[in-house]
Amino acid sequence: MDSKNPIMSFLDHLEEWLITFLMGGATLIIFTAVVHRYLAGLPIPGMQDFLLTINLSWAQELTIYMFVWMAKFGAAYGVRTGIHVGVDVLINRLAENNRARFILFGLLAGALFTAVVGSLGASFVWHIAHTDQTSADMELPMWIVYLCVPLGSYLMCFRFLQVARHFWASGELPHHDHSQVDGIEKEEDINWFGMEDDLHPHDVHEHAPHRNR
Amino acid sequence: MNTLIIFGLLISLMLTGMPISISLGLTVLTFLFTLTQVPIESVALKLFTGIEKFEIMAIPFFILAGNFLTHGGVAKRMIAFATAMVGHWYGGLGLAGVLACALFAAVSGSSPATVVAIGSILLPAMVKAGFPKRFGAGIITTSGALGILIPPSIVMVMYSVATNTSVGALFIAGVIPGIILASLLGLTTFYRAWKYQYPRQAKSSWQERFRTLKDSLWGLLLIVVVIGGIYSGMFTPTEAAAVSAVYAFIVAVFVYKDLRLRDVPRVLLTSANMSAMLLYIITNAVLFSFLMAYEHIPQEMAAWMLSQGLERGAFLFMVNLLLLLAGNVMEPSSIVLIMAPILFPVATQLGIDPVHFGILIVVNMEVGMCHPPVGLNLYVASGITKMGITELTIAVWPWLLTMLAFLGLVTYWPTLSLWLPRMLGMIGGGGG
Repeated sequence: MDSKNPIMSFLDHLEEWLITFLMGGATLIIFTAVVHRYLAGLPIPGMQDFLLTINLSWAQELTIYMFVWMAKFGAAYGVRTGIHVGVDVLINRLAENNRARFILFGLLAGALFTAVVGSLGASFVWHIAHTDQTSADMELPMWIVYLCVPLGSYLMCFRFLQVARHFWASGELPHHDHSQVDGIEKEEDINWFGMEDDLHPHDVHEHAPHRNR
Repeated sequence: MNTLIIFGLLISLMLTGMPISISLGLTVLTFLFTLTQVPIESVALKLFTGIEKFEIMAIPFFILAGNFLTHGGVAKRMIAFATAMVGHWYGGLGLAGVLACALFAAVSGSSPATVVAIGSILLPAMVKAGFPKRFGAGIITTSGALGILIPPSIVMVMYSVATNTSVGALFIAGVIPGIILASLLGLTTFYRAWKYQYPRQAKSSWQERFRTLKDSLWGLLLIVVVIGGIYSGMFTPTEAAAVSAVYAFIVAVFVYKDLRLRDVPRVLLTSANMSAMLLYIITNAVLFSFLMAYEHIPQEMAAWMLSQGLERGAFLFMVNLLLLLAGNVMEPSSIVLIMAPILFPVATQLGIDPVHFGILIVVNMEVGMCHPPVGLNLYVASGITKMGITELTIAVWPWLLTMLAFLGLVTYWPTLSLWLPRMLGMIGGGGG
């Protein structure tokens, strides 16, 4: 996908940075909580008392929230990398111009769904923000926690429209292996959810949709 | 009537080729806006709370651990160990491949990850050693499928999410069927290698075996951490997944040093990308099951099927057929999330053990991963070997037939799956 525009490229990086951070952060937090629980059970004088003063009961809740955020923004990123799996056995066997119609329909349906969900989420967050609901362990205001639903869904909607526009112009869909920097890509870096198989629609080579009138 | 509308809509939307998650979501939305009085707000809440379970978080952790492990080091040493142990028998490196896949499956929760890890190292080596390309590709494509049967397993976590079955019990139940399937695939390899007189490796000395065991100890220890940790109650499955992710990171970066520290963000991003896609399917599948439960569809279908005088054997046969068909168009996680909530109520009413049913579903998924048009293992193997899908399809058939026979065994012999978890007191014993 061409992201020459500095704002777009900033958004792309922000998205990648956010989900990378959430993934790594959540793993470290749970790992720390497990190690802490285990060490605090060992009768080592001094250390045990010290460890027992640290309360990590919020760790599980924080991990869940981090992963839910990761899932929402990662799903948007997944549209950009073309990783969402579908049933494409049928449409990949159609003539290219018909396949193009189905692909566009699918992308626009994705945009529609995420727009509706984003709006449902936004009104839900608005509603919750007028209550004083907080989370069980960390006592975070719940509207902040739920904010990932509208934000992530609207971003995903934007990504669907972006991919649809690019497809309309060029007949190309995002593929994980193409979106990476070309060059020294090692064999082990195969992303099995992003392959040119029948779980994803194939590109339209001969006729880009806009020339296909 | 509503049942027909819901499934008709879902199937037509899926056939247009849009993402499965979107088809599920749109089906739910259409239904909500037109045909029912479920408050829309409860849907918005479900969008968040659908994946708010700690058990589900095992999925991203196992994916992360798997992605750290596929980076050479662990797989390479497991292959060396396996070759030292069985390389001198008929089948040589091929047999070692089956064993290496089984070992790797015990640290990884995903089948394609196992194919990548073992295949990308072993397949070139097999060609160099004089094995036909097809022989190696057939072995690795099918043995890689052990990844989801031998614990840990992402598909088992999906099943547990969809049916509230204990992940720990499922993991333990997968051990014996996993070992048996590995042996059967090994036998097939042995037989074909003997029939066609394929090359064998020189027999390794016990010192060599011991050395390779010591080299691969870091990887093998992870098996102890995951299975032992869960069984002893030291970790929950999710915690075990997180611990194995950190462990795999340390082994890959600091012990075997086959991953540079600056590559770590890329691995994190890829893992986040894969996990988010699966979590998004879960979110929408949860919405879908919520809708079905609200309409009492699973119960009604169960009641209808039972009123037709359906008995256990016929039901299981039908389930296998349905899942094998589904395996032609969808990948395992989506199949489990959509089908399990529908089939599960019937299964429990027929007195089928939830754990046995789970293992049966997993074995079905394994078969689906190894044949076209959508078998993920097949596509990964095609990426590694540069062989076409058609040629690979011919390559896998002897092992695929073995797997189908094994499916029959798992289906009609529940004790195979239930003996170990019962012995360890993880599920109720007695009847069934």
